[in-house]
Amino acid sequence: MKHSASNWITDILQQQDLPPVSDWLSELRRKARDQANQLPLPRRKQEAWRYSRVDALLKQSFTPVVQPPNGSGLEMPQSLSPHVLVFVDGWFNPALSRISDLPQGMVLGSLREHLDDASVKAHLGSLANSGENLFSALNSALINDGLLLKTGTGTEVESPIEVFYLNSQAEQPLLSQPRNLILVEENSKLTLVEHFLPGMGNAYFHNSSTEIHVGEKARFSHYRIQDEATDAWHLSNIHLVQAASSHYHGITLSFGGKWARTEYKTRFAGEQAVCDLRGLYLVGDQQLSDFHLDIHHDQPACHSREQFKGLLHGKGRAVFDGRILVERIAQLTDAQLTNDNLMLTRDAEVDTKPQLEIYADDVKCSHGTTVGQLDPQQLFYLRTRGIEEQQAIHMLCAGFAGEIIEHMHLPHLREQAGERLRRTLDRL
Amino acid sequence: MLSINNLHVEVEGKEILKGLNLEVGTGEVHAIMGPNGSGKSTLSYVLAGRDGYEVTQGEILFDGKNLLEMEPEERAWAGIFLALQYPVELPGVNNMNFLRESLNAVRKGRGEQELDAVAFMKLVREKAASVKLDEKLLKRSVNAGFSGGEKKRNEILQMAMLEPRLAILDETDSGLDIDALRIVAEGVNLLRSAERSIIMITHYQRLLDYIEPDFVHVLADGRIIRSGGKELALELEDKGYAWVLEENAA
Amino acid sequence: MSAKQDSVDDLVKAGYEHGFVSQVASDTLPPGLNEDTIRFISGKKKEPQWMLDYRLKAYRHWLEMNEPDWAHLRYDPIDFQEISYFSAPKKAGDGPQSLDEVDPELLATYEKLGIPLEEQKALAGVAVDAVFDSVSVATTFRKQLADVGVIFCSISEAVHEYPELIKEYLGSVVPHTDNYFAALNAAVFSDGTFVYIPEGVRCPMELSTYFRINEAKTGQFERTLIVADKGSFVSYLEGCTAPMRDENQLHAAVVELVALEDAKIKYSTVQNWYPGDENGVGGIYNFVTKRGDCRGDRSHISWTQVETGSAITWKYPSCILRGDDSVGEFYSVAVTRGHQQADTGTKMYHMGRNTRSTIVSKGISAAHGQNAYRGLVRMGVKAENARNHTQCDSLLIGDQCGAHTFPYIEVRNPTAKVEHEATTSKISEDQLFYCRQRGLKEEDAVSMIVNGFCKEVFNELPMEFAVEARKLLNITLEGAVG
Repeated sequence: MKHSASNWITDILQQQDLPPVSDWLSELRRKARDQANQLPLPRRKQEAWRYSRVDALLKQSFTPVVQPPNGSGLEMPQSLSPHVLVFVDGWFNPALSRISDLPQGMVLGSLREHLDDASVKAHLGSLANSGENLFSALNSALINDGLLLKTGTGTEVESPIEVFYLNSQAEQPLLSQPRNLILVEENSKLTLVEHFLPGMGNAYFHNSSTEIHVGEKARFSHYRIQDEATDAWHLSNIHLVQAASSHYHGITLSFGGKWARTEYKTRFAGEQAVCDLRGLYLVGDQQLSDFHLDIHHDQPACHSREQFKGLLHGKGRAVFDGRILVERIAQLTDAQLTNDNLMLTRDAEVDTKPQLEIYADDVKCSHGTTVGQLDPQQLFYLRTRGIEEQQAIHMLCAGFAGEIIEHMHLPHLREQAGERLRRTLDRL
Repeated sequence: MLSINNLHVEVEGKEILKGLNLEVGTGEVHAIMGPNGSGKSTLSYVLAGRDGYEVTQGEILFDGKNLLEMEPEERAWAGIFLALQYPVELPGVNNMNFLRESLNAVRKGRGEQELDAVAFMKLVREKAASVKLDEKLLKRSVNAGFSGGEKKRNEILQMAMLEPRLAILDETDSGLDIDALRIVAEGVNLLRSAERSIIMITHYQRLLDYIEPDFVHVLADGRIIRSGGKELALELEDKGYAWVLEENAA
Repeated sequence: MSAKQDSVDDLVKAGYEHGFVSQVASDTLPPGLNEDTIRFISGKKKEPQWMLDYRLKAYRHWLEMNEPDWAHLRYDPIDFQEISYFSAPKKAGDGPQSLDEVDPELLATYEKLGIPLEEQKALAGVAVDAVFDSVSVATTFRKQLADVGVIFCSISEAVHEYPELIKEYLGSVVPHTDNYFAALNAAVFSDGTFVYIPEGVRCPMELSTYFRINEAKTGQFERTLIVADKGSFVSYLEGCTAPMRDENQLHAAVVELVALEDAKIKYSTVQNWYPGDENGVGGIYNFVTKRGDCRGDRSHISWTQVETGSAITWKYPSCILRGDDSVGEFYSVAVTRGHQQADTGTKMYHMGRNTRSTIVSKGISAAHGQNAYRGLVRMGVKAENARNHTQCDSLLIGDQCGAHTFPYIEVRNPTAKVEHEATTSKISEDQLFYCRQRGLKEEDAVSMIVNGFCKEVFNELPMEFAVEARKLLNITLEGAVG
């Protein structure tokens, strides 16, 4: 194969001093390592990488973090939640975390500490197919630690769980690879908030892989706020499977990083499930935001809604690639995908590719996309009402982004997001 | 003209009509009233021949013929017209063209000559004026983007064009303001004749203020539980359905 | 439900009425492709050296290329050595000088297809160039057109008669390096149509080419070039049919349009190549490159296509909106039934200021048909205030077919505005019942609803062809509901 196994991947994989783990996990690592060596590097000829420039990433060498870092210089993040988990360079840091009393049967903490748990063995790697995706394979090849969240059946957790991914200061760019497993079991109800933050790091590569199983009639709200360092690379691979009548409500806000890519692969394992996916990206100079959705309707009567909006300023670049696939069996599917982009400056660029692939006839599917700038008429209207131009722009942008932000049911997150947006707009 | 005997109908395995009897003579106007879920719309769909309504017992005779053996379009040719509660939108299908196709299909089905373009245009203008339908609506797609009132008026126009022998008006008054209701009622009254029977299905009395029925029936739980003259409607208005239901139970 | 199933079955069985074979003696090159094949074609047409050089250059480039595999299509690989690259009815060797010289069997063939070539019988106001297998057999109304300076002839003639125009424009919109099938076409194209509308002239009649594949095992590689000089207007139509055969035949055409300042070209296609039988055996592989260049300011190119035929359709009629204020349009109805597959759409390259494009795509899938819209809208850095609106609607009839939408939107200018919408639907039970309650037969109701679905596109066709297109659609959907 012409393009496989360049030095980039072998250099990273050559780390021989990985801490030992159970046999089954060593086997999973080994298999993923072989696959990573086989897979071609992302190139623009590959449809999934058509608009993403990864050359700069592949020129940079990264050092995997194979021992738990001490977290020096880092403090416990502020949070109102009784359950706060901090991961440093992908490793769970108990000193910076606090976990209060948990409902009976619920497990929350470090994946590494639960490797003998039967459900971990059964589920880890069951969705993330490292044979298809180089970065997933890389994550699996070097699995060390990550978040384990297992609710037990019929568990309702009132307060949200907040997870922070932070980074150490380092001479060499580090590779942070949390590997997360989330099992929201039958009839459970839970909110998880993930924050992706620099900590002490600047140039690092966050390459996480998350597998989520949502059980029958379970409801899972999953908020992800990505605000990585300005020189960081960020890649999240999220694999989701939903059982019958379950409800997944996911919102990703993408603010930071110089290259930030989020890949969602979702499918259904039962009927009447609802998948509600939303995202907002705010992209400026030297930034590229990249969302890939693969929404696979392989069960009848499921409902999915994908709504993604982008605000671009400076020389920001955004890529959106969303696909809804409806299989023959998936009659009565209701799927809608929208992607709207607002370009605030001359040099911004948008590439968007919303796709429908439909093999069933009794379905309601649609997609819609817009790319444009602020409506001059709206601006004019606000100004005739005495509002200054800059303020009017803020109002319209906040309104545009608000359509995503308002779907987060935690007020403090809405406020934080609004504040983050304002900070950026003020600088323009 | 229409004779319904011991009609039992199931929808998705659930029995909705449970032994309904109704006789409608030529030229009569019948009002069928009843609470929500009593089976009013089911009755209208069964008469028009919609799929998914399974007749498990009983018969419907129309001019002595077994209506249940006929396809929906054959029933239309025979003179049955159903004005729908929610008229369907047909995007891209020109309203005028639709009327013409429909009229000629019905005429052909009755063994009559098709109308040529000139005669058709003349007729459609005349009828549209009589039901006060804006001619602009004729140029648009069937019901697409019409207001509630416009849709209902369009139904009455179709009825005026097709000149049915039995017209079934399913909740024609729903969603209409008083002015629209009056116009629609005027249209229906124009079409009253000694040869034409009308079944009005309605939840409220108010339509009957404008179209006076010869007979009023109360439909509840899949059966006609009470019949009378127009005074029955007034009584219902006064006392509510609960009154008949209780009385019936007693 | 049972009515539905019948409908699907009937649909699969609906016949193809142009499937006959004409008994015309022909000169057919044995299958195979090498430089000698190209020299033979060029020699047969007594082409000048420059033309042969162009073909050979294209052929050598083609040898270096790979067949594209990105489309949402599945088919057995094409064996390019199994195809005959030239077939001409015998009498037409040097091209007939008048209709009297045309084989009566050929005239009968076109008459049977509803395209009478005798001028007195022809559709009023439509001039026809008839291409039979590899060559043009007749072009009507040439004199009337010449009177206003319009050139309408076969491209073979144009190479001899108007070499300067051909040298200037041929390959200027679709270069021989453009793609695999365009390169092949540049190497082996046998005939096609050339149109030139002089400055300020409004072409007095519709121009039309009617393509017919007749010989077995032949490919058809025609080349069309239309140049509309400043301020001119032309409306051009093409139609196509082929006999029913068990093998797949390749059609790889190239169409180039050039619109100079203030010129407008309206290009309409009714494509009804043989689609194969209900088991997916036979049918035309239709790999076509069509591109228009709005070279001048305020120029306007409009593509309208009704695609009902072919086993495989691979075509993306495109517009390069180079001139300021230029306009590109694409209106498409594509029907796939049986085992037909279509991957079709358009590309709109906005380069000039205030450029506008409109895309309306209506895909209808029935039986085992697979129908994909694939489109690109690119707003270049200089496309100040450019606008695009795209509407893609899919209609599914039956649960064995597929409808897909693959749009690509690339925006490099913030003042540009792009709107894209796509929907998928089926004919609802409510709509069918409503029509039947008003006395329409189910079949007529389906046809009426489908025609309504396609209305925006049919409205763009010239009158006579809109009628044809509607008829064709009705035939295609015949017995749609049992």
